[in-house]
Amino acid sequence: MTADGTSGPLRIPRRPRGRWKPWLALAVVAAITAVTASPQWGVAVAFDAIARNWQNGALKIVQLLQPDWAFWPRTVAPLLETLQMAVIATVVGALLSLPLSLWAAKLTNPHAVGRGILRTVLNAVRSVPDLLYASVLVAMVGVGALPGIIALVLFNVGIIVKLVSEAIESNDAGPLEAGRAAGGSQLQVNRAIALPDVWPSFINQTLYVFELNVRASTVLGLVGAGGLGLLIDAVRTYYRYDQLSLIILEILVIVVVIDLVSSAIRKRLV
Amino acid sequence: MTIHSHDSAGVGTTVPAPAPWAIRMRDVTVRYPNGVVALDGITLDIEPGEMVSVVGLSGSGKSSMIRTINGLVPITSGSLTVGGHALESTSGRQLRRLRGEIGMIFQGFNLAGRTSVLNNVLVGRLAHTSLWRTLLGAYTDADKQIAFEALDRVGILAKAWDRASSLSGGQQQRVAIARALSQQPRLVLADEPVASLDPPTAHAVMGDLRRINEELGITVLTNLHLVDLARTYGTRMIGLRAGEVVYDGPAATATDADFERIYGRSIEAEDVLGR
Repeated sequence: MTADGTSGPLRIPRRPRGRWKPWLALAVVAAITAVTASPQWGVAVAFDAIARNWQNGALKIVQLLQPDWAFWPRTVAPLLETLQMAVIATVVGALLSLPLSLWAAKLTNPHAVGRGILRTVLNAVRSVPDLLYASVLVAMVGVGALPGIIALVLFNVGIIVKLVSEAIESNDAGPLEAGRAAGGSQLQVNRAIALPDVWPSFINQTLYVFELNVRASTVLGLVGAGGLGLLIDAVRTYYRYDQLSLIILEILVIVVVIDLVSSAIRKRLV
Repeated sequence: MTIHSHDSAGVGTTVPAPAPWAIRMRDVTVRYPNGVVALDGITLDIEPGEMVSVVGLSGSGKSSMIRTINGLVPITSGSLTVGGHALESTSGRQLRRLRGEIGMIFQGFNLAGRTSVLNNVLVGRLAHTSLWRTLLGAYTDADKQIAFEALDRVGILAKAWDRASSLSGGQQQRVAIARALSQQPRLVLADEPVASLDPPTAHAVMGDLRRINEELGITVLTNLHLVDLARTYGTRMIGLRAGEVVYDGPAATATDADFERIYGRSIEAEDVLGR
């Protein structure tokens, strides 16, 4: 039966064209992968190296499976320093990010020029890896936790401002218009109306960068920027994979605990 | 002139009401950057204390007209005077002060959903609040008192500490009216204030607007597209079509033929709200 009540063969609309596009995309990805892995053009991945060196690798794995528990007391102080760096960097980064996020979003800053400048600077800040910041800062301010903290703050501001300002853009413009219509200045309206709606995404992203900071601050010490990384570098130099194994376990436990705590906090954010 | 809370129990206080404002439009044209002409040479006088319904289909220019009156939309040509202030030569701090005297109510309520009802009503005090007080959220006790009285006037004082998003649509629109009232406005503009409400709630909210006009003497301009609401809740009706005034007269006696002329088509069932 057709819609007008008469019976007859179904008139199926013609299938749209252009269904080959996903296949083309897949072919392009496959071609790029093949070229980058090929010996002439790309990085020349030699899988036979795994076969040749497997005994060596197996030995390391056996060592890693036997953590040196007696090493524990020496890891406590660097571990605490790593956590302290992560906390300080998160707090400072978040405090800097909140006003900058409002400044970077079109909804809360109608001035295109200022917004454009800030976004360009932030893109530049974000494009540099934190380990690179740390190695440059160690040369500038000396070895220790301080260059690590500054590197993490830069990294945090780049991430939080990008994610929070994008969340602001997706908010409704209506309440802000109401605030302007009541005679509020942009700054007043941002504080009284935009800020309460920004809180959840701001806290969410701050917890996220805290997790990233704990991971990142464990390796910043490799370039002399404080924390566990310094110890990792030392045990690695002496091929003490049993001690490295203990450090990895400790990082694992801390990261899991922090993930659990922050996801518990996130659930309460409605 | 003094005003009294509608609450016969006398919870509200008596404060002198500011003198209501007139609107004078002379050949006002608004052309948007994309070339659309929203208002096409409108000349109108709205006297202090009038309750005016502005009627027209969507796209007729009624929303642009209301936004032009408080400077949210700039005038392309012509002159617009609100309460003696020429809008085309007002900007910056002066414009914000002017807007502070004009309450505005929106179809979508436009509340900050995650904060309290009280904080939303206090937005109406921004024009009278210093920046540092706003940043700290430290509104004066006098401003809080004004906000509580405004909430009492629309009958939802009990919800002051609730989160705005937890309220029903009708209650949210009442919060928006309280926000406008806390401005102690000389003029209230309402842009399709009941278009997203069910009929009984719509009548209650329109009743609130009429009471603001009758008891406080404030000039009220309401955009509507429903025939019966325009007839019931306005003393004067202005019909807009394609950015031009095509009707200006008493609201109660406007005939179906008048509405058909404004809409450019016959009146249908969906043009009437009912009860």
